[in-house]
Amino acid sequence: MTVRTDAGDALRRLTTTHLPSWMPWLLLLVAVALSATLRDNFFSQYSISSTFATFVPLVLVAVGQAIVIIGGGLDLSIGAVAALSSVVAITVMGGDDGRVLLGVLAALATGMACGAVNGLIVAGLRLQPLITTFATASVFGGVTLWVLPTPGGRVPGMITGTFRLAIVGIPVTVWLVLLVAAAWFLLKRTRLMRHIYAMGGDPAAAYASLVPVRRSQALSYVLAGAFAGLAGLAILANSGSGDPFIGGAMALDSVAAVVIGGIALRGGIGSPLGAIGGAMVLSLASSILFFVGVPSTYRPLAEGLVVIAALALSALSDRRKT
Amino acid sequence: MIEVRDVGKRYGGVVALAGARFAAEAGEVHGLLGPNGSGKSTINKILAGSVRPDTGSLWVDGRQVQPGSPTESARLGIGAVYQQLTVIPTLDVEQNLLLGTEPGRWGLLDRRAGRERASAMLERLRPALGEHVGPGSLVGDLSPGQQQLIEIGKVLLRRPRILILDEATASLHRPQVDLLFDIVRELREDGVCVLFVSHRLDEILRICDRATILRAGRHVATVDLADTRPDELVRLMVGEKLAETTKVPSARRDEVVLQVDDLHAPGVAGVSLRAHAGEIIGLGGLQGQGQSDLLMTIFGALPRTGGTVTFRGRRLGHYRAARAARMGFALVPGNRGTQGMFSLRSIQENLSIVSLWRRTMAGFGISMRRERSAAREAVERLAIRLGSLDDPVSSLSGGNAQKVIVAKWLLSDPVVILLDDPTKGVDVGAKAEIYQIIRTLAAEGCTIVINSSDDRELAVLSDRVLVLFEGAVVAELEGEEIDEERLVSSALLVSARADREVSG
Amino acid sequence: MTATVEADQRRRALPGWVRSPILVAAVLSVALIVVGELVSPGFGSYGQVVAMLRVAAFLGLIAVGQTIVILSGGAGIDLSVGKVATLAAIIASRVMQGDDAQTASGILLALAVCALIGLANGLGVVYLRITPFVMTLGMMGVVHGLILAYTGGVADGRAAPALVSLVNGRVFANIPGVVLIWVVVTVLVTLLLRRTKPGWDLYAVGANRVSAELSGVRVNRTVVGAYVASACFAGLGGIFMVGYTQTVFLNLADDLTLPSIAAVIIGGTLLSGGVGGYVGSAIGAVVLTVLTNLLTTLRMGEASRTVVNGLVLIILLAFYGRGRRLRS
Repeated sequence: MTVRTDAGDALRRLTTTHLPSWMPWLLLLVAVALSATLRDNFFSQYSISSTFATFVPLVLVAVGQAIVIIGGGLDLSIGAVAALSSVVAITVMGGDDGRVLLGVLAALATGMACGAVNGLIVAGLRLQPLITTFATASVFGGVTLWVLPTPGGRVPGMITGTFRLAIVGIPVTVWLVLLVAAAWFLLKRTRLMRHIYAMGGDPAAAYASLVPVRRSQALSYVLAGAFAGLAGLAILANSGSGDPFIGGAMALDSVAAVVIGGIALRGGIGSPLGAIGGAMVLSLASSILFFVGVPSTYRPLAEGLVVIAALALSALSDRRKT
Repeated sequence: MIEVRDVGKRYGGVVALAGARFAAEAGEVHGLLGPNGSGKSTINKILAGSVRPDTGSLWVDGRQVQPGSPTESARLGIGAVYQQLTVIPTLDVEQNLLLGTEPGRWGLLDRRAGRERASAMLERLRPALGEHVGPGSLVGDLSPGQQQLIEIGKVLLRRPRILILDEATASLHRPQVDLLFDIVRELREDGVCVLFVSHRLDEILRICDRATILRAGRHVATVDLADTRPDELVRLMVGEKLAETTKVPSARRDEVVLQVDDLHAPGVAGVSLRAHAGEIIGLGGLQGQGQSDLLMTIFGALPRTGGTVTFRGRRLGHYRAARAARMGFALVPGNRGTQGMFSLRSIQENLSIVSLWRRTMAGFGISMRRERSAAREAVERLAIRLGSLDDPVSSLSGGNAQKVIVAKWLLSDPVVILLDDPTKGVDVGAKAEIYQIIRTLAAEGCTIVINSSDDRELAVLSDRVLVLFEGAVVAELEGEEIDEERLVSSALLVSARADREVSG
Repeated sequence: MTATVEADQRRRALPGWVRSPILVAAVLSVALIVVGELVSPGFGSYGQVVAMLRVAAFLGLIAVGQTIVILSGGAGIDLSVGKVATLAAIIASRVMQGDDAQTASGILLALAVCALIGLANGLGVVYLRITPFVMTLGMMGVVHGLILAYTGGVADGRAAPALVSLVNGRVFANIPGVVLIWVVVTVLVTLLLRRTKPGWDLYAVGANRVSAELSGVRVNRTVVGAYVASACFAGLGGIFMVGYTQTVFLNLADDLTLPSIAAVIIGGTLLSGGVGGYVGSAIGAVVLTVLTNLLTTLRMGEASRTVVNGLVLIILLAFYGRGRRLRS
């Protein structure tokens, strides 16, 4: 019996579904255009390859974060998980090309195990995700230091080499981002992902609608952990050595990428594809700051302000719908 | 087929069920009937597995069962349509219809099978849903009635043997109700047991074979509806009449305290009213027609988009609740728990908060002595029964908690008191006390605007009643004109007229 | 609402003394000291305990703001406190350059910058409706940037001797000044929360924002104020910290964010807001400091200490911060 007018409905639909979903792509377009004007050879194969190489870790982490946030949760430990996975992998591989597969599996397993820890605590003990993952980030960070106390180690040449290859004229790094997108299209067709969306939309209603809420919640963290594990590998491929402190800013960046990507922090709305766009926008923004000539000591400040501006922008557009 | 035996359930200090029982057969439509707070919804939640009873037992097909979750309940063949919708607003129609029972293999969705099942249900509901709703429509964009139908469709797709419909018709229009009843009759033919929960007598009489009447969580009677008269049902539901019905002379004076002209706000479409000192103005009509929004807007808690508010001869610009409170407005909101109380805080703090600024030292420091004496005075004046002022307000019964909310405003010496359904969920004794308080306040010269879901309450208290429909005043009753019958008929007349316009 | 009521009921179901988190925390801190004394004699000596209290004071001061923000409800939390404390220490020491004449101006300038940062947090949370953790996490990045931009990546500056002696000077019974200041702050903050209108407004806003708005409380102003207070107290903690270390580091107080939240939780303040107080957080800060010292005495490395810190927080949450069940 609530009073509702058709005009109001139409307006609401326009603002709820359309505005945030095209925003990351518009921002990406702007970022690409800016980058292209600032750098003459931006579209050369080498440049694209190295630009995408910087995208890959954040893209992976952002997709993982997106899945958790869509499910109504949050993973502040995702950067720490990526770092832990990377140091475990580098220790397992020991610079040996023959143990690359072992390293990949170790990174994935580490990521998923950490995700399972988060998932069990959040879903099983019903603890608040924000503080739980903040705390587990501290735990994972400590374990990372056990595994690799100081930066170092050598990444097998196979990994770093592959990262710089091109297949059918397209750099491997681009393929990897496309692969992540493809993985999402597969995930989207699973019952689990449908349930994660439902749970993020309204957990109580999902529970009453026969959705196995606790299991889905735990699995969303495991999925995020898997993506973080892969991100750990990408970090290794990118840098060529291990660094236990690498995960520091990743949690914030992944949340920012998700927000720019039009995913609602209260859950249920948005697509990890947007987060991929958001991650690319953020990465490009920091390289733009470099090419614009912001002195290196001012760059973290400028990056921080960009993130805040992006948060404010999406919060403002989000506000229009209510 | 299904039987509930002597089920009891308490929430904290509140008894929801105290030995409720009924039994229903396959191929029967069984009504559950009772006033607010009779425990109907709790029974449903127990059957649906989302609430565990404290005592008693459930029997399905002659076996005792104890559904521990909605999934277990569904496995027993029970499908529940909750009073509070469980559709997910952020998913589309198809996803909602299939939720929890998506067809698929190895965790992957079978999209074609899903689409077929959803479309079949959508076509069944089509006459009531309207043409524009497709499988891809976002459920959050649908009207409450359409959402309700999707909810029903979702549960029907699980092919339950026992179907619970809890106030499923509350947000449906006439044609939608007709379609639902057609479906229910079909299910009855197929041997499904349907439990139909409602407080709408006419619907119970239309669709149900038998009905169980509950009151205060207890079983009152189970009757065969074929040989029961409506007024007999009413008597069973209401019990003996306790609330007073006598009217007292109006305390209205000549001075106009509050004047509202052509007020527009979300949910309010051009309301004008003049309220005098000592006058009690009632807001009537079907619930949810903008009564609460109007009170909130006058109080400054909802943004006014047009019109003027004049208070004691002074036209007010834009103001918010904090300023309204200091000018002498008071609002007792419609939802005690979420809008009125600070459940975890002490009774003392709940009483002090509104008028704290009047007693502080230098607008800052609090003297506990002064706060204590102010609180005690208020407690005495309204005869609030409590243990200690330091107990959390959540320890009080509904009636006493409501009196605390009224009392906190009295400490600010209000001029205009806005009451939104102040006796909802309050027992009969406390109800009478609250009426007395309202009358005393009016006699002291306060202007009172009261919204109520209880027409008898409006009839007993009001000097004048404005009947609202879709945010506008559609009728005004004054003095002797105000009685329950006229209130109900004027509310229903306009809605029937509107229904005709919608369907015609 | 249901979550907090349920948490409250669960707490009430616990036996006797366990009901008061403050008492539990106090017993815990004494127990830890006793364990320390058993493991390593001298751990519980007067001098050692006073030294631990001095370190706890810095965390305790930062936890004042965290308590206020968490009390304000609406998922309130301030993840920027550690960086803000560091920034305040850097500003203060750079202005002072070891010169007593600049003590006051250094402290005031640092606190003014903190207040602005807190204001930005508060405005972002209230008017842009950015979720508190996102807003303050983003602010953490900005403050990190501010620190690098301001220092050029090299920390210099020294605390003024006056500040150093204020923090370290023994006033009586060999107790350093900062501990006494902390005690005074504890009393004042508790009075502010329990006996002033802003304090009562804060509890009301934290317990139920809608009810508070409809009771004429200025909700937005209260929430913004909470974030400003948080940044200012973080800054105060940072300033005193540099009085203790005398020279400043670029990551001086960064690691205190997590413990500041842990201290609040140990102290029994509900994460959902509206219930709790500062005395608990202060004792929580003591517990955490004693624990860290105990771990150091046990020769645990940095890595292990971070692990333990995280585990402690999770265990505490499991005791006090359980969420709502989906079925009742």
